[in-house]
Amino acid sequence: MSQTTSPNIVREIVDIDALTEGFAPLGYVMDRALATAVYLLVQLRRPLLIEGHAGVGKTELAKALASFLKAELIRLQCYEGLDVNSAVYEWNYQKQLLAIKIQESSDKTVEEKEKHVFGSDFLLKRPLLQSILSEEAPVLLVDEIDRADEAFEALLLELLSEFQISIPELGTVKAKQVPYVILTSNNSRELSDALKRRCLYHWIDYPSLEKEMEIVRTRIPSINADLSSHVVRFIQSIRQLNLAKTPGVSETLDLSNALLLLEKADLDEATAEETLGCILKSAGDVEKIRAEGISKLLAKSVG
Amino acid sequence: MSAPSYVPKNAENGIQILEAGLARGVVEFCRFARARGLSSSTKEILACLQALKAINHLHFDTFKFVLRTVLCSSKEEWTLFDTLFAEFWQNAEPKRGSHSKKSGSNQATLRPGRMEESRFQTLADDNSQPSRPAEDQGKGISGASAAERLRKIDFAQVPQSDLAELERLSRRLLQRLSCRISRRLQPRKWRGIVDLRKTIRMNLGRGGDPIELSFKKQKRHRAKLVILLDVSDSMNPYSLFLFKFVYVLRRHFREVTSFIFSTNLVSVNEVLRAQHLAGALKILSRMTTGWSGGTRIGGSLEDFNRLYAGKLLSPNTALIILSDGWDTGGPEVLVTELQKIKRRISKLIWLNPLLGLEEYEPVTRGMSAALPYIDVFAPAHNLEGLLELERHLMVA
Repeated sequence: MSQTTSPNIVREIVDIDALTEGFAPLGYVMDRALATAVYLLVQLRRPLLIEGHAGVGKTELAKALASFLKAELIRLQCYEGLDVNSAVYEWNYQKQLLAIKIQESSDKTVEEKEKHVFGSDFLLKRPLLQSILSEEAPVLLVDEIDRADEAFEALLLELLSEFQISIPELGTVKAKQVPYVILTSNNSRELSDALKRRCLYHWIDYPSLEKEMEIVRTRIPSINADLSSHVVRFIQSIRQLNLAKTPGVSETLDLSNALLLLEKADLDEATAEETLGCILKSAGDVEKIRAEGISKLLAKSVG
Repeated sequence: MSAPSYVPKNAENGIQILEAGLARGVVEFCRFARARGLSSSTKEILACLQALKAINHLHFDTFKFVLRTVLCSSKEEWTLFDTLFAEFWQNAEPKRGSHSKKSGSNQATLRPGRMEESRFQTLADDNSQPSRPAEDQGKGISGASAAERLRKIDFAQVPQSDLAELERLSRRLLQRLSCRISRRLQPRKWRGIVDLRKTIRMNLGRGGDPIELSFKKQKRHRAKLVILLDVSDSMNPYSLFLFKFVYVLRRHFREVTSFIFSTNLVSVNEVLRAQHLAGALKILSRMTTGWSGGTRIGGSLEDFNRLYAGKLLSPNTALIILSDGWDTGGPEVLVTELQKIKRRISKLIWLNPLLGLEEYEPVTRGMSAALPYIDVFAPAHNLEGLLELERHLMVA
């Protein structure tokens, strides 16, 4: 499975701690469990499936990994109806038509012409094909795989098991380097067992109080400690409520940034009310929080 | 079997190569986990060992994280793993010899469930008369008003004299219904979008001029049906009619998978494949089905999820449960299992015969717990209710 692991990378990551330390300057705080998963992904080149609520840093992880490895990040955002033509490859039709016109007077046979216009010059590489054709192993992020349909899952399965793609007109394209594959899912639907079996798995939960404060500190170094702890406690108490869209870490960061921008030194009730839009994304949830009492939540978060 | 001693808890003397003892510990644990419902095949054991080998300094924590990352593939398994791991490595002597705990308990609830063979036989005979589809159109029923009345009559209150009439009417209407559904699920035919790729290929011989166009159109997606029919004691007045309903649906849809359940789940796909309804009923009467038994909806759904859900359910599946919601099991199981089902499919339809009663409200513990997960909750006590199914399937 690790037939094409390049030696310089193995040297760079000596152990799991090196990963955790390496990610910190990139603004990504990683606990040991996640670091272990990433370490295995790098060493074994097995795809890593990351599940978790929205806004807990699933996509961020891929970005951080790419900059840590100094590798290219190739991102494929999934949606329903995603097909081969937009995920793997497409032919450049206009160019093909042009080429056929140009060759019109040449004495090549039809077969030769066909071979020419279906050559790699006319191939448009979409993310998946691009990821296996790179000279240096890239990080391939397949984002929100739960949004794509089963047909696409099957397609992906072929790529992830063999790291090759067959294009009828060209033949089989083998990976030059096995990419580091990260798949993320919001857990909105069950993925196929075959795909899951192919992947390592990690569940990212909402961070603990300490971890979330560390994240805020790392991402927004200019924020003062009191304010950040207040914000984090406030959000953590909101998470206890049963909301339609529970705020994630990205909402914590949004709120912190907003407070910095508004030059607020403290999170009082009026400020919290004004900035509610940073953390709650549905009218029902805002209603619910108001019913609960913002001041009460804030009071809870001070203690 | 002092398994825990295989893992060095001291990080300083980290292991360089995988000790045989550690490997054995992993295998032991995987077998332990498998017996408790965590999938850990030989292939996954090998993957674990390979993953462990990739790590230079093995802490006990890391050891756990590695196994969890490799063995788990969902949130549920993730949680289960933590429990299993703690149980196995922290108890010096984990409980053994309970490998088939789950299947054992199922075995216990299986009851012989004798069918009232004679009752089935009568109904089967009723239908074995050759039907004349062409003549049925106008002659089958005596008048519009009679048909109207029969459409609305509660299956439980059909007088003996009307039974044959209702049978005929239902066969005709349900047949028509299934035709309509299968026809409507097809997208309209239109020329579609030009498929450039094919067009160019096709016209290469003509110098690439697109003389003949090739089109692509949306792929047909026909919804699959999975039907779970409650045949417990409380459903007695309805279950036979509903079984016939399922039979008709089965005949006219390509992908229908049906089960009946009372205390346990029985697949009736083979039964429904019979040429005539009479034949199907005859086969059914010879099977141990738990017909008119107690109800274990939650348990039956659990069986369904464990054995069939992975294969049968997909986002374009509609699952139909035909049941009155009386459950002897706790509502917690029902809720968990419905949740699991709901995550795999787009549409959960619950047809409840009791919903036809004026004073009925879904307050039984099971039913009220299930309501939040149901997309369509509709009556199924008369023909009209069943014919409504078409509408429910259309919105899918």
